[in-house]
Amino acid sequence: MSQAQAEEVTEIEAKRRLLDIKSLDNPKALKLYRRFDGILILVLFTFLTLGIQIQFTLTAGDWDYWIDWRDRRWWPLISPFTLLLFIGAFTYGIWYRLRLPIIATAVTLLLCLVSWLSRYLNFVEFANFPMSFTFPSTYIGLAILLDCALAMTRSLVVSAMIGGGLFGALVYPLNWAFMAPYKVPVEFNGTLMSVADLMGYEYIRTTTPEYLRIIEESTLRTFGGSVTPLTAVFAGLCGIVIYAIFLYAGSWINGLDKYAKRIV
Amino acid sequence: MALSNTQTATLETGSESKVAGHFKRNRFAYMCGAFALAVGAALRIYLDTMGFAVGTDYYSEEFQTYWMPLLYGEIIVLCSFTVILSVYFWMTRETDASSISKELELSRYWRLLGVFTVMGIWAGAIASNAVESDAAWHQVTIRDTDFTPTHIIIFYFALPFLTAMLIPAFIWTHTRIPAYMNKISLPFLAVVVGILMIMPNYGFNEWGHTFFYAEELFAAPIHWGFVFLGWSLFFLVPLAVQLFTNMGRLIAETTAEDYKQHSA
Repeated sequence: MSQAQAEEVTEIEAKRRLLDIKSLDNPKALKLYRRFDGILILVLFTFLTLGIQIQFTLTAGDWDYWIDWRDRRWWPLISPFTLLLFIGAFTYGIWYRLRLPIIATAVTLLLCLVSWLSRYLNFVEFANFPMSFTFPSTYIGLAILLDCALAMTRSLVVSAMIGGGLFGALVYPLNWAFMAPYKVPVEFNGTLMSVADLMGYEYIRTTTPEYLRIIEESTLRTFGGSVTPLTAVFAGLCGIVIYAIFLYAGSWINGLDKYAKRIV
Repeated sequence: MALSNTQTATLETGSESKVAGHFKRNRFAYMCGAFALAVGAALRIYLDTMGFAVGTDYYSEEFQTYWMPLLYGEIIVLCSFTVILSVYFWMTRETDASSISKELELSRYWRLLGVFTVMGIWAGAIASNAVESDAAWHQVTIRDTDFTPTHIIIFYFALPFLTAMLIPAFIWTHTRIPAYMNKISLPFLAVVVGILMIMPNYGFNEWGHTFFYAEELFAAPIHWGFVFLGWSLFFLVPLAVQLFTNMGRLIAETTAEDYKQHSA
C-alpha cells in the first residue's frame, strides 16, 4: 500500500470514528443500539446456557445429580475446575471488549436456573427420582467473589490469583447449608452410614458401580476430617491455574475475530 | 448530551424515514421462535408419554412402530431442510456487493440476528429439556441400541437442528452481507464446524459405549469429545464483536441523514 493510500484509509477511518461518536447523540441510533444489545444478550446467554450445561453435565454431572455423590475429595475439586475453565474463556472476551465483570455470575446463575428446571423435568417427572435426592449444587456465591475480584482490581491476573483461588476453595462451605441434613449419621441394618448414603442405597442406578469405585474408595472413609480442607486448598490451586490457562485461551480465541480469504 | 436527547427528542419512525423498517419488531424471530418451541414441546410430550411405555426394548414390535418412524422422519426432515435451504441460498447469492444499499445491508443484519434468536431459543430448550433427559434415562435403563428414545430426540433432532439452522445461516450471511462476501468469518466458521462435528463424535461415543453398555458415568472420558466441541461456543464472543462492529457503523451511517434533517 502506498503512502497516499494509507493516508486515505486513515482519513476514512477517522471520519467513521467521528460518525460513530456522533451517533451516540442520535436518539434513533441509540434505540437501534439498544435493540441490538437486547438481542445479543438473549442470544449469548441462551448459548452460554447450552454450553455450560453440556460442559458441566459431561465433566461434573454425576457429582451434581446425586446427593450421595457429593463427597469430600472429588466433588469440591472437579466442579470449580470445570466451571472456571468455561468461565475463563468467556471472561477474557467480555472484559477485554466490553469491560463487564459479569461472566462468572452469569454462567453460574444460568447453570443454577437451567439445572433446577432440568432436574425437575428430567429426573423427577421423567425418571421418578425425588427432588431431595437430585437437586443441584450452587456456585453463584463463588462467582460473585470472582467477578468482584475482577471489578475491584481491574486486573485479570490478580483476579485469577484471588478470585480463582477462592472459587476453588469455598465450594464445600458454600454448599454446606444444603448438604448438612444429608450428612447426619443413621444406622441401617447394623451399619453406620449417612442419610445420603442411605438414599443412594435405596436408589440403585447404572452409575452405582462407578460410585463404589470412585466415591467409596478407602482413604475417603479413613483419612478423617482433614480431607475437606486439603481438597479445598488443592482446588484453590487448580482454580488459579485452570482459570489463568483459559483466560489465555480466551485471549487467543478473541484474537480470531478475523476473516480469511480461503481456509485451505 | 446523549442522555438529554434520548429523553426529549421525538423519534422519527414514520414510513417516509429511510430506516423506518428497522424499528419494526422482527416477526421472523417471533414466529420461527414460537414454531421451534412448539416442535420442541411436542417432542418432549412424546418422549414423556412414549419413552418408558414403549421405548425400553429396541427389539420389541412397539419400539419399531412408535420410535423408528420418528427417527426416519427426523433424518428426512433435517437433511431436506439443510440441503434445500443451503442450495437455494447459494444459487440465489448476490454477485455485486456494491449494489446493496446501507439500509438493505442493515436490514439483513437484523434478519441474521433474528435467525440467531431462533437458534438461541432452541439452544435454551436443548439445555433445559434434552441434555439431562439422556442422563436420567441411562440411570434407570440398560442400553440395547444407539437409538434410545432420548437419543432419537437429542442426537437425531435437537442438536442436528442447530446445525441445520447454522449451515444455511452461514451461507446466507456470506452471500448476502457485503462485509462477509468473498471471504470467510473465522469465528462464525468455528461455531458452525464445532456444532456440526458433534454428530461424527456421537459415532465415536456410541462405539465406545458398546464396551460398557450396562453402566453410565456421565463424566467418563468418552464423553469429553462433546465438551471439546462445545468449546466452539467460545467463538461466539469474537463473532459478536464482528457483528457489533459492522452494525454499529451501519446504524451510525443510516440514521445520520434523518438525524441531520430532524435536528435542522
